[in-house]
Formats: sequence, C-alpha cells, structure tokens
Amino acid sequence: MSLKRKSLAAAALFLLAATSNASAESYCEQGKPLRLADVSWESGAFLTELLTKIFGDGYGCKIEKVSGNSLIMSHALITGDIDIYPEQWVGRTEVMNKARAEGTVRAAGHPYLDAREGWYVPDYVVNGDPERGIEPLAPELKSVEQLADPKIRALFSDPEEPSKGRFLNCPTGWSCERLNTAKLEGYGLDEYYTNFLPGSGAALDAEVASSYLRKQPVLFYYWNPTALMGTYKLLQLEEPAYSDECWDGLTSSDPKTQACAFPLGEVVYDVNVKFADQAPDIIEILSKATIPLETINEALAYMAKEKAEPADAATWFLKNYAHLWTNWVSTEAAEKINQGLN
Amino acid sequence: MFPKSLEFSISQPINDFVAFLIESYGETFRAISNFILSGLLQIEWVLRALPWWGTILIFMAVAYLCVRNYKLPLLVGGLLMLAGMLGLWDLTMQTLALMLMATLISCLVGIPTGVLVAKVRVMRNILIPMLDIMQTMPSFVYLIPAIMLFGLGKVPAVLATIIYGVPPLIRLTSLGIRQVDQEVVEAALAFGSSSRQILFGVELPLAVPTILAGLNQTIMMSLSMVVVSSMIGARGLGQQVLEGIQTLDVGKGLEAGVGIVILAVVLDRITQGLGQSQRRD
Repeated sequence: MSLKRKSLAAAALFLLAATSNASAESYCEQGKPLRLADVSWESGAFLTELLTKIFGDGYGCKIEKVSGNSLIMSHALITGDIDIYPEQWVGRTEVMNKARAEGTVRAAGHPYLDAREGWYVPDYVVNGDPERGIEPLAPELKSVEQLADPKIRALFSDPEEPSKGRFLNCPTGWSCERLNTAKLEGYGLDEYYTNFLPGSGAALDAEVASSYLRKQPVLFYYWNPTALMGTYKLLQLEEPAYSDECWDGLTSSDPKTQACAFPLGEVVYDVNVKFADQAPDIIEILSKATIPLETINEALAYMAKEKAEPADAATWFLKNYAHLWTNWVSTEAAEKINQGLN
Repeated sequence: MFPKSLEFSISQPINDFVAFLIESYGETFRAISNFILSGLLQIEWVLRALPWWGTILIFMAVAYLCVRNYKLPLLVGGLLMLAGMLGLWDLTMQTLALMLMATLISCLVGIPTGVLVAKVRVMRNILIPMLDIMQTMPSFVYLIPAIMLFGLGKVPAVLATIIYGVPPLIRLTSLGIRQVDQEVVEAALAFGSSSRQILFGVELPLAVPTILAGLNQTIMMSLSMVVVSSMIGARGLGQQVLEGIQTLDVGKGLEAGVGIVILAVVLDRITQGLGQSQRRD
C-alpha cells in the first residue's frame, strides 16, 4: 500500500516537474518542432516563410513545413498533424466552422485585416489606358447589374458558347466557387454568362495575365491580398451592400433571388488548441503579428515582379518593415532575426 | 556547394519570350484555338444530342464489328449504362468528345511521324529524345503558357492530352514498320514496286496490329490526362474528380473516377479487339 502511494507521489512529482519545466522553457526550447501548413497560394506562402524566419531564426524553432491544399491542411490542423495554419478565411468552410465550434482549432491573431474579394475587370476596360493605346470599351460599366446589358455581355463573350459572356469563377472546389455560382444566379446573370471554372489558381492567373497583355476585356473573381492586385490595375465592380439576410439566402440551398457583396473577410492565424495550450509564447507573438493590407500586396507584387521566392519576399519584408515586426518579438529575437537576414 | 559563377538561368529570357508571343501574336493563337474548338464543339454537339440509348447502341455495334462475338458488346453496353446510372452521362460524353478529338489529332500527327521516324535515321535521332521529354516534362510547365496563348478550357486540354498521349503511337508505328520482314519488302521491290507502293501496300498494312496497339496506348494515356485537363478549365469527368477531392467528398470523386475507368475499359477493349481481329485476318 505504502509502496503504491509512494510511487503515485513520485509520479505526481515527476509530472509537476515536467509541467513546470514546460512553462519555464519556451515551446521550441523543449526541442519540439513547429509544424506550419505550407499552403500554396502567394499570400499563404509568404506568411509561411515569414513565420519560418521569425520563429526559426528568432526563437531557434525547428520548423517543419507540410505542404498540401487548403482542405487537407485544414484537416491536418484539426487532427494536430500541423500546429499553425498561416492564413485562414473565417467562416468559409464547414469543416473549420465545426472545428472552431468544437474547440479543436482557434484563431491566434490576424495576419492582415479587411481582406477584400469581388468581381473584377481590368481598369482599361472602363477607363482606357492612353499609355498602352487602349480605348475604353465600356466607359459606363460600374456595377454588377450592368453585366446583363447585351453590349457588355458581348465584350466578355465565351468562345465555347459565343452567345453568352464568360465569368471566370474560382477554381473548382474552392469555397468561393459555390458562393460565386450562387451570386451569378442571385443577380440573374446565369442565363447570360457561362459559369466558367478555371480548375486551378494557376489557370485563373494565366488567363487574367494573358488578357491583360493582349489588352482584352475579361471578367473574373479575385481577392486581396494577391500579387495580381499589386501588379495590374484592376477595377472592382460595385455590388449591393452586404447584409446578413442576403448572405443567408446565398448560402442556403433555396433558389437564389438576390445577391450582394462579399463581407469583408476575417483572416486569421489558425492554431490547433492543444498546441496553443503548450505554446503560449508563440501564440502571443502571433496575436501581435498583423501586417497592413497594402504592405502585403506590395510584398506580393515584389514577389511577382522580381520572380522572387516567397522566402525572398519574407526577407525583403523583414528588411524594409522593421518598424512593424520588431514590435511583435522580443529584442533578443529581433537581433537574431536581423542576423539571419545577412 | 556548386560554384555560383557557373550558375545561369534561362527563366527571364523565356518569360520575356512568352510575353512577347502573347503581346504580338496573341490574337493569331486565339484564332487557331477557335478553329480547333469549333471542331471539338461539333463532336461534342453530336455526342450530346444523340439519345443515350443511341450512343450505347452505336458503341455496342462498333464493339461487335471489332470482335464478332456477343461478350464484348454486352460488356460495353453494361458499362455505359452504369456510367449513365451513376449520373455521369453528360460529363462522360464531354470527356469522350475531348478524347476523340485528341485521338483524331494524335493519329493525324502520330502515324506520319512514326513512318518518318522509321524511315529517316536523322529524324529518329532527333525525335526519340523529344518523345522522352514530352512524356516526362510535368504538364503544368507547358500548360500555363499554353493557356496564355490558347485561352482556358478545351483547346489547351486537347493539346496537353496529345503531347502526353502521342509518343506511344509514334514509337509503335515506327516499330511496326521496321519489324516488317525485309524479305517481303525485297519481294515487293523485285516486282518493281515504288517506295510509295511498298509503304502503303506492304509495310503499313503489315504494321497495322502494332499501330493499333500504339493507338490503344495513346487512348489509355490520354485518359490519364482527364483530371489535368479539368485543372485548366475543361469540363467533363475530371472536373467532378477535382471537385470531389478538393472538398474531401471522397464518394463523389470516386464516382467520377469510376466514370473515367469505364471510359478507359470501353475504349481499351474496343481498340484491342480491333487489333486482334486485324491479326486474325
């Protein structure tokens, strides 16, 4: 009996020692790797590299980057196979909504605020571009409602179905794809436009870039922050203001009779809750690490223009925006990060 | 570390070249693209306008003509029925149209090239390594510039499918012609045949079973490009596979995957049957 009690006491003591040890040392000092979702889109890749430099150089963390598409990574975050998902749009997927409600995943901060998305055309379609010798093709085009106009429709004509215009939706299977399809129906544009799914982000970008180079009109869905936004002059079409009522209609399975603008997106660093409990030091840094939207667009445009790797863009940001990130980290870590830049 | 002084990069000149092509000849490429597209849309229109049982009957008849027994037509009919019952009929027809167009162009390009490779040693030395490149270069590498030149959708999908699928047809056409017994060719020569008569009257007919085996391989490889095609905006079964895997709807992805397999089995058995009946004759 007493032996049992003794061993229990010893075990308790050991546990106590282990936990107190954990709180004294930072998460990374315990030798645990920090596992980041290496998501493939530009802003996500940029943020992943930025976190790699901050935690890897500044705090000596062993970084493991796991790559995969957004959905597989979200699942990995829920199961705890990765620790941090660097750029998650809140409320966009069922899986994440459920995980947030169940408390397996939570937000640890905002990489940037007020992400914007919508339907775009190149600016020259409306305003022309004297420098490149482009006459405005549709000077009166301002809002999504005008898209039904046969003259406007003809501008965006779909070669596969010439009687209709072509609306370039989100790539197949992204959550924005379903929303855009609903909006197309809600605006009553589905009879005038083909709902064209580009299949992948790369294909969407290629088509927009090609149209821009050929000075042709193109109508597409896009979002901020992206290199495309920083590189080309694009014009967002006006939509009726967002309202919860209209949004509920769009996301339900009933026939859509109205539509409205996307809500301003809330974008967060998502973390696995078990990890968050073990790594308060890392969570604290994430909660401060918010970058202005223009700065991210600038970094992404730098990436596109200089054909720089996301890692180079992260270095570029760290070099040029020290006044931002030095507020997020300890002075000691800031020094180490600066050393890493040279 | 590899010395920095020896490093060089071709990426900038290539990017500039692609941008130059798009800016200067973009509209020409789009015109070519629209020409290919109109042919494809016609095939698709026919396939989608035919009643479903009509299409199935045509496939069963073709299968019967190829093998002259009842087993294969029944299998083909049953499988196509299954595709329809899984709710994949329209998607299957769209994919089939893409396949047929790609196969047609593959034949037009592949068989003459195969003959050339068999006959001209220089061509063999140049083309065989090129075929290796075509089969191993990751398709997105040439697809993105192809999209920029030809636009999104079916046309770059057909091109990608041809680039990946045509090499076996070229290889096997060339092999089939070189395997023709030299004594037969000599006999034809002795009867005073011209080289053209030898090619069309002796070598090509004798090479037909091998060429058909190549065609069969080409179709099979083309089908493996269906998902890649849908990643550049070509509608069809691939799109549903993509949708399934992107949203972790495993069942939906598998259903569409089964559709692709059905198409593969149907086309494979028919072309194989054709090859075997040729061998028997």
